[in-house]
Amino acid sequence: MTRVERRDKEPEPTKEPKQPSGKISRREFLGMTGTGIAGLVIGGVVSREAFPKQVEVPAQPAAAPAAAPAAGEVPAVAEALAGYTLVFDPVQCTGCMKCAVACSEKYGAYFHPEETKNTVNLEYSRIRPMRFQYVDVLNTCHYCELMEWAEGTNEFPCQAVCPEDAILTIPEGEGESGYFGMGYKWIDQDKCLGVDKCWRCAEICEDQFASGISFDPISRKAQVCSRCGGDPECVKVCPEPLALQWVPMGRNGRFYAHTPTEYAELLYRKMYNVRREL
Amino acid sequence: MAELNGMTGKIARVDLTSGTVTVIEPPEELYRKFLGGSALGVYYLLKEGVVNPDVEPLGPKNMLQFMVGPITGAGANARSVTITKSAYNFISIATSGGQAATELKFSGWDGIQIVGKASKPVYIAIVDDVVEIRDAAHVWGKGAEEAEMILKKEVLAETELREAMNRDADLTPEWAALRPAGRKGLGEKRLASVWVIGVGGENQVWYANVMTEGARAHGRYGPGAIMGSKNLKAIVIRGTKGHRLADKARFLELVNAIHASEKNDYFWRSYGTAGIGARSAYVEDAYPIRNWQWCCWSDPKNASMEGPWMDAASFVHKQACPNCLLKCLTTTEVTSSDPLLDGTMTDMPDWEAMGMVGGNLGFFELEGKTPSDPFGGTHIDQAENLAKLQFTTFLHDNYGLDYIEGGTLLALLMELRQRDLISVDDLDGIDLKWGDVHSVDEILKKIIHREGVGDTLANGSWETAKYFADKKGNPDIMKYVVTTHRYGQPAHDVRSPADKNAMEYVTVGRPSEHTGGGGAGFKEGDWAAAIAGQNNKCATDSMVSCSFPGGHFAGKTVDLIKAATGWTDFTEEDLFNVGARQYAMTRLFDIHTQQLTDPKEQWDKLVPNRWFKDPLPNGPHKGAIAYEGNSDKLFNEDLPAYWKTRGWTEDKGIPTQETLKALGIDDVAGDIAKQHL
Repeated sequence: MTRVERRDKEPEPTKEPKQPSGKISRREFLGMTGTGIAGLVIGGVVSREAFPKQVEVPAQPAAAPAAAPAAGEVPAVAEALAGYTLVFDPVQCTGCMKCAVACSEKYGAYFHPEETKNTVNLEYSRIRPMRFQYVDVLNTCHYCELMEWAEGTNEFPCQAVCPEDAILTIPEGEGESGYFGMGYKWIDQDKCLGVDKCWRCAEICEDQFASGISFDPISRKAQVCSRCGGDPECVKVCPEPLALQWVPMGRNGRFYAHTPTEYAELLYRKMYNVRREL
Repeated sequence: MAELNGMTGKIARVDLTSGTVTVIEPPEELYRKFLGGSALGVYYLLKEGVVNPDVEPLGPKNMLQFMVGPITGAGANARSVTITKSAYNFISIATSGGQAATELKFSGWDGIQIVGKASKPVYIAIVDDVVEIRDAAHVWGKGAEEAEMILKKEVLAETELREAMNRDADLTPEWAALRPAGRKGLGEKRLASVWVIGVGGENQVWYANVMTEGARAHGRYGPGAIMGSKNLKAIVIRGTKGHRLADKARFLELVNAIHASEKNDYFWRSYGTAGIGARSAYVEDAYPIRNWQWCCWSDPKNASMEGPWMDAASFVHKQACPNCLLKCLTTTEVTSSDPLLDGTMTDMPDWEAMGMVGGNLGFFELEGKTPSDPFGGTHIDQAENLAKLQFTTFLHDNYGLDYIEGGTLLALLMELRQRDLISVDDLDGIDLKWGDVHSVDEILKKIIHREGVGDTLANGSWETAKYFADKKGNPDIMKYVVTTHRYGQPAHDVRSPADKNAMEYVTVGRPSEHTGGGGAGFKEGDWAAAIAGQNNKCATDSMVSCSFPGGHFAGKTVDLIKAATGWTDFTEEDLFNVGARQYAMTRLFDIHTQQLTDPKEQWDKLVPNRWFKDPLPNGPHKGAIAYEGNSDKLFNEDLPAYWKTRGWTEDKGIPTQETLKALGIDDVAGDIAKQHL
C-alpha cells in the first residue's frame, strides 16, 4: 500500500532556483492579490495582521540583486494613520487576551515604568476582551461623537461631560509617535480629577454608549484608547486572522458603540439563536 | 517576608462555619518544593490532617482548595486546580482552563482553601485583598450557566462603579431632552470570573464538577460535591494587582516564543480534541462504544466523528484560555429535528465527550443496528446523532457533572438493561436503552435531585453496580462496570495495543486519569521513562499549566519558572522531584484515608473485568485484550518493578522512609508511611 507522508516543510530544491525574471510565481501572485485587495479598501497601507501569514519567498541566491520588498512584507517603519478605527469580528476573536497584554505592557511602561518593571497588569490596558459564556466581546473606546443636529454638539460624549476639559483630541502633527496624536483621544493627566472625585466620562459612556473608559490603578486617572496615535499595538499582536482590524472609520464611531452586555446579547441571538438577558 | 516573584506568597483560608478568613503565608522553601498548584494542595491535605480517615469527605472538616502556580497569570496559558478529598474517599485533583485562574493570581492569591460549612447557601466574592462571604439564595437551585452569568455582574473592581454624577444640566439642552429615562446600565464591565457548581454539586452528586465559562470544568473526582456539601455555590474573582515576575522581559520573551510556535499548530488550532475521534475508532480501536463492548464500528462510514465534519455540522466559535493561541474549545449550537435538543447552546464535543457520552451511550447507531452492522443511514442521520451527544454534554455541563464518570454510569445501566440484569422498575420506570437521549435526560434529572433510584446513582458507577449486585443477588453485575480504582475509565481503552497501556491506569496518581503521562515508557517497560512522564505531568499541574501545548513548552519550562520566580539555580531535576513528591503523597493519601491493609488487592487490582475477559470484537485490533492477557505479569512483576523504581516497597507500594527523606517530605508523610509498611 502506498503511504502519503505529511510534509511539514517545503521540499529542498533539487536544482538552482531561477533568477527573478519579471515572471512571478503563483505563491507570490496570491500574496500580492491579497495586498491589492486590502489596498483598495483601506487606501494604500495594509493592516499588518490582517493577512498574518507572511508569504514565503523562495530563498534568493546570494548573487541576486537587492530587489524591492517582496509581496506581503511588513514595511520596516510603521505608518500612523488618521481617521481609522478598530473593528473586531466576534466570531473570529477567541478572547485570548494578547491584545490586552500588549496594550497594558505598552502603557504601563509609559506611565509607570518603575512600578510595572516586574509586573504584568492588564489594568493598564485600554482594550479588554470580556468573556461571556460562549461569546467574547472586545471592549474598547469606539470614538462616538454626538450628533450636532440632534444633540447640540459634535463632541465626544465623555468630552462633553468632562468638567475639566481633560479629554483632549491631539491633532495631526502633535502628540507622541506610537502613543498619541493623529486626531485621537488623550487624557490630560494634570487636569483629570481621577476616579475618586469624578467619573462622569465613564458614567456617561456606560449610561448611553459603551464602556470605553477605565481607570489607572496607580494614578487613578481616566484611561482611554488613544489608538497608539494611529498605529495600534493590539492589531499587530492579534493572532487570529481578521479578528481585529484597523480600518478607516466609515461613520461616526457611535455606530460601533454598544455596551459589552448589549454586544453579548446580540451575539447570543446571532450566533446561537438564543435570547439571554444579562 | 521578602516579596516573592511568580507567586504571591498568600493563600486565603476561608472557614465557612465561622465566617472568617485567615491568610496563610507559605515560606518560599515550600514553593521550591511543590511550586504551587496540585503538589502544594496535596501537601496541605497531609499537613492539615485531611488525609485522616475520620475526616468525612462530605463533612465540614474536609478542605477544598483552588490553587494556581508560579506561571499562572502572565504565562502562556492559564489553568487552576482543585485539590480535596473526593466523596469516593480518594484523592481528588482536577484542573480547568479559563480566566478565573488568572484572576485569582491577579487578585494577589496563590490559592483559596475552604473549610467548614455555611449555614445557608453562600458564595465567596474576591476583589484583590477583600474576601467576602455573600448570600447565594438567589442562585441556589439554578444551573451552572445561569448562575455564573448572574454572579459575574455582582463583582466589580472598586473603580468600576460609583454613584451617578451627571445631571441634565451637564448636558446640552437638546441632549438632555433625549436622555433615556432610567439607567440603561452602569457597572457594565464584566471582568470578574466565576467558579460555580450546578444543581448536581448542590445535591452532592459524587462526581459533580466545578464549572467556569459554561463549558470548562474541574471535571473529575467531584470537587463540586465537596463545594455543595459546604453550601458554597460559587467563587467570583476580580483581580487588579497583576502578576509579579522576577525577570519580566525574559518571561515575556519565552511566552512569545511559545506563541510563535503555537501559531503554526494546525491540529489544536483547527478543532482541538474534536479532531481525533475517527482516528481513535478506526485506527486505534480504542473508542468506547456501548460500554466498551465495541471500540470500533465495522462500517467506517458509521460516524464521522472528525473535526472538519463536526465543524460543518455545528461548530460556531472558538474560545481560548488566557494567553493561549490553541483555542481548543469550540462552541456549538445544536441543530436537530428533535425539539428537546434543537437550539441548545453548548460546546464541541471534545474528545472525552465524544466517547463517554457519545459512542458509549450508543448514540451513533441507527435503531435496530449494532456497531458490527453497516450504518445504513445518511450524513443527516449522523448529524442527528451528533446532536444527541451535544445535548448530553450540555446536560452534564449545566448540571455540573463529570461526563466521563457520568457516561460510565449511564452506559453501565444501559448494558445491564440490554442483558436484562435489571428491569425498568429498578430504574423507576425509565426505559434506558442504547441511543435514547430522552431517557438519559429523565434519569439525569433524578440523579441531580437524588430522587428515587437517583439517590443511589448519584454515588457513581461503582456504587451503583454494587447496589444492583446486592439487590439482585448477582455478583456478575460487577463485571460490567468499567472503572479503575472505582472511577470511570476515560475514552481511551487499554485492550488495543495502539492506545493506552494497562499499567498507565493502574499506576496513575489520580484514579483513572487519562492525561497522567508516561505512555511510551509503559509500553516499552521502561519504568524510569514512564515515571519521568508522570512526574512531568504533576509538575505541569503545579505550575499550573496545560498539557495540550506541552510540545511548545519543550525546553522552556524550567526557564519560564526561573524567569517567573528568580530561582536561578532551579533545574530539570527540581521539576521532576515536584512530581515525585506528589506521587508519593497521593499514594499515601489513598492508602491512609481508606485504611487499606493490602493495597494491591484492595486498590491496585480494582480494574475493569472487561480488560482481560472481553477481547475486542472487531476493528484493526480485533481479538486484543489488555496486557496481552497477562494480568499476573502486570500485578506481580511489572507493578512491583515500577514501585521499586519509584523508591517504594515492592509488596505494597509504600514510599520508603529513605525515599521520603530524599524528597524532603518525611515531615508530612513519614509517619503515615510507617503505619502502612
